[in-house]
Amino acid sequence: MAQAKNPKGGKDNFTRNLVIAVVLGVVLIMLVPTLLSKKTNTDAAIPSSVSVEDGYGMVFNKELQDVPFIEIYEDFQCPACARFESIVGEYVEDLINTKKAKVAYHPLSFLGPESQLAANAAGCAADEGKFIQFHKLLYANQPAENSGAWSAGYFSTLSLGLGIQSKDYDKCVANNEYKDWVTNVANEGAKRNINSTPTVFINGKEIDRNKAYNSLGEFMLAVSKA
Amino acid sequence: MKEKFVILQPWIGLVARLILGGVLFLAGFLKVDEPDKSQMAVRAYEMLPISIANLLGLTLPFVEVAIGALLILGSLTRFMAALGGFTMVIFIIAIAQAWARGLNIDCGCFGGGGTVAPGETKYLQEILRDLGLAFLAAYLIRYPSTKFSLDKNQNSKSSQEEVA
Repeated sequence: MAQAKNPKGGKDNFTRNLVIAVVLGVVLIMLVPTLLSKKTNTDAAIPSSVSVEDGYGMVFNKELQDVPFIEIYEDFQCPACARFESIVGEYVEDLINTKKAKVAYHPLSFLGPESQLAANAAGCAADEGKFIQFHKLLYANQPAENSGAWSAGYFSTLSLGLGIQSKDYDKCVANNEYKDWVTNVANEGAKRNINSTPTVFINGKEIDRNKAYNSLGEFMLAVSKA
Repeated sequence: MKEKFVILQPWIGLVARLILGGVLFLAGFLKVDEPDKSQMAVRAYEMLPISIANLLGLTLPFVEVAIGALLILGSLTRFMAALGGFTMVIFIIAIAQAWARGLNIDCGCFGGGGTVAPGETKYLQEILRDLGLAFLAAYLIRYPSTKFSLDKNQNSKSSQEEVA
């Protein structure tokens, strides 16, 4: 306290120290919830066909062995992901339907709140067996990033286009039921050093960033080599 | 010339404080609610183990906000300028190593970040900007007494006494 008093009668340090305390206090109060919200919750509700051991990804043909394992990290709002989907989406769908590959989708949400809502809704659609259809429909109608177009109401309406009649889907979307799962997917992506979307691995190896993301031929070649 | 500098010095200091503090505050503020992106930006430099990069990505925006705010207010000017200058030097090293290793990343300084298409990198601009900010920090370390600061300020007090 001795320091707080300035013998010369000018400004003392009390105000300054108070300001420092306030600024640090406010920043800490903001930091703590951020740190807590990033924690993986192992009790999180997960949509059907999600595999915890595959980084909380949405896995198709999980039972198959001796087939290529394709892992796709994407964000529903990312334009490059929409482009990738338009180039290889149908082929991957075909591989799933003909049981020629095991495929894991990881819906990341780093582009913002609307990505989070979309990833949650994707989980809700998966419970109705409509993940692939949801995936395709969403990319085909991708709006500008965080423009407000994607809301719980929007995803509810989307069920009409997907042929979902269940009330559970609406409830799941409205309550953001898979919020914790979406966080877990993001955390696993961060641990796996995913630094851009889309990022695609075939049998654990990333495909060539200069070629295989932009060309169906190159992508098919990468799959056939695996 | 020298007398002129004595009068101008605290005003230059004020400008330096506001620019350095303002940029740090803004850079941090734009990232605090985008922790996923911020973590991605730090990982993309490929300098740190992934878990440490993720932790830094979470906390760095808050540190920037704190240093920026205290610089704007002029509290502990010399110490905060040293911290700000230190982060600028680290950023310059990080960007330079990414450039030298041929990584294609965005610096993620004001949000964004991560891998970008080859040819979309802006390493030179990013380094020059951070060099400028580091220079402002150096000025504030050398001349920490500035106008409208909360620090107890020997120089400006004596000049006030002279005026009085």
